[in-house]
Amino acid sequence: MSWQALRHRVLLPLAGVLIVLAAWQATLLAYDLPVVVLPPPWLVAVTLVKLLGTAAFWRDVAVSVYEFAVGYVLGGVLGVAIGMLIGEWRGFRLAATPVVESLRFVVPFAWIPLTILWFGTSFTGKVVLVAYAVFFVMVVSTSRAIATVDPTLSRVGVALGMNRWRLAWAVHLRAAAPTLASAARAAAAIGWIAVVAAEYIGASAGLGLMITNAASSLATAVVIAGMVVIGLVGAGVSALIGWLARARLDYR
Amino acid sequence: MSEHGGELAVEQVSHRYVVGGRTTPVLDNVSFTIPAAQVACVVGPSGCGKSTLLSLAAGLFAPSSGTLAWDGAPVRLGRTQHLGMAFQQPGLFPWLTVRQNVAIGLRTRGKGRVEARRIAEEFLATVGLGEFQDAYPAHLSGGMAQRVGIARALALRPRLLLLDEPFAAVDAFTRLKLQHELLALLKRYRPTVMFVTHDVAEAIAVGDMIVVMSDRPASVSRIIPVGREDKNRASAAFARKLAETLECLGVGSDSAVE
Repeated sequence: MSWQALRHRVLLPLAGVLIVLAAWQATLLAYDLPVVVLPPPWLVAVTLVKLLGTAAFWRDVAVSVYEFAVGYVLGGVLGVAIGMLIGEWRGFRLAATPVVESLRFVVPFAWIPLTILWFGTSFTGKVVLVAYAVFFVMVVSTSRAIATVDPTLSRVGVALGMNRWRLAWAVHLRAAAPTLASAARAAAAIGWIAVVAAEYIGASAGLGLMITNAASSLATAVVIAGMVVIGLVGAGVSALIGWLARARLDYR
Repeated sequence: MSEHGGELAVEQVSHRYVVGGRTTPVLDNVSFTIPAAQVACVVGPSGCGKSTLLSLAAGLFAPSSGTLAWDGAPVRLGRTQHLGMAFQQPGLFPWLTVRQNVAIGLRTRGKGRVEARRIAEEFLATVGLGEFQDAYPAHLSGGMAQRVGIARALALRPRLLLLDEPFAAVDAFTRLKLQHELLALLKRYRPTVMFVTHDVAEAIAVGDMIVVMSDRPASVSRIIPVGREDKNRASAAFARKLAETLECLGVGSDSAVE
């Protein structure tokens, strides 16, 4: 690894983390806070290592990731499909726009009471919530990306003999792919936040439930360790989507 | 083939756009005929409706009045089997390799994967891009991308080739080179061609006839035949043809036509 690569990939990101940890430790020293209010970074690290050795922790991670993954795929596929219909079909756009434009401002968390009422604290409720969160990001991004495809590409497609649906599938969707890749990362963040938030309020397993339980027994180090895990899993999911997008969009 | 086989006839075509309740007439009673295997270059002021005329000939939309006839039958919307088109921006699909860009039209028109690949490779070799088949458009120069666009149009073996200022976005040297290459290809494949251009010299070099359009709403000011003897840029005949066309366009021969 060259010096520049080492600096960009390791040293600077590490410096960012160290600055946050130093600020955390400095706050503790400055205000003399008790452990139950804000535990020191080392205690959170030790707690995290202990958590990694328990089966319950991994079950909670697996449940959250599974709920997220199913909801993400469902919301993503539906969002792209409906977004394409909005982008391609004027009649559908006119009918769907009022619904989409009003519902997309109703944040997923506002639906949590209803999903609990309808689905209890089950897997289905979490999946619906994640799918809802992801759907609106994807539907808006897809319809806008389709609307802004370079008109020359459309003219070429028509001149080559493509019918409307082939043009939509083979040209417009492919041309929109870079925008959709960015949207997919944004949607992943919102979907992941939605699933954890839903677990805070009602769940039988998952990282959100783990943190709620720890908070109710004043195990603050576990709460923060859980938050760290949420952040790391989210960053990992985002990096995975970014990597997949780069692999598929390498023509650029 | 009928007596009108390979002939494109534009008969009393008028067209207007309606945008936001405002009507803008673009073409006014345009009539001319391009005989089979002839190249008609359409020149005229910017925004006079040349590209609209091309789109009408392609059947992308219908004229407000008048008719366009191909092979003696009215041009039908969405029927592109006989067509090849190339544009000012080559419009290559950036996610496809150069070969796939040429093959996609053939695949759309029903050729098998192997056959489409073979034809694409053949035409890319013809335009001198045999070594760039696996490259992506982002890695091509403007001239190379334009060659791919023309190879893609010609690989369809179109009977009617519609070119919308295909060399407008490349430098002067590349433009001359592409004109020579296009002429050689047209001589080989003999399609009927409507070539829209701003460049009068290019029109003389490439065309068998020049259709000079007036300002918008455009009508045909004059149709100027171009003979083989007019095409030599160093000749007096070329200079005379250039002056004649520019005069038709209402500019002096020392002014640029833009």
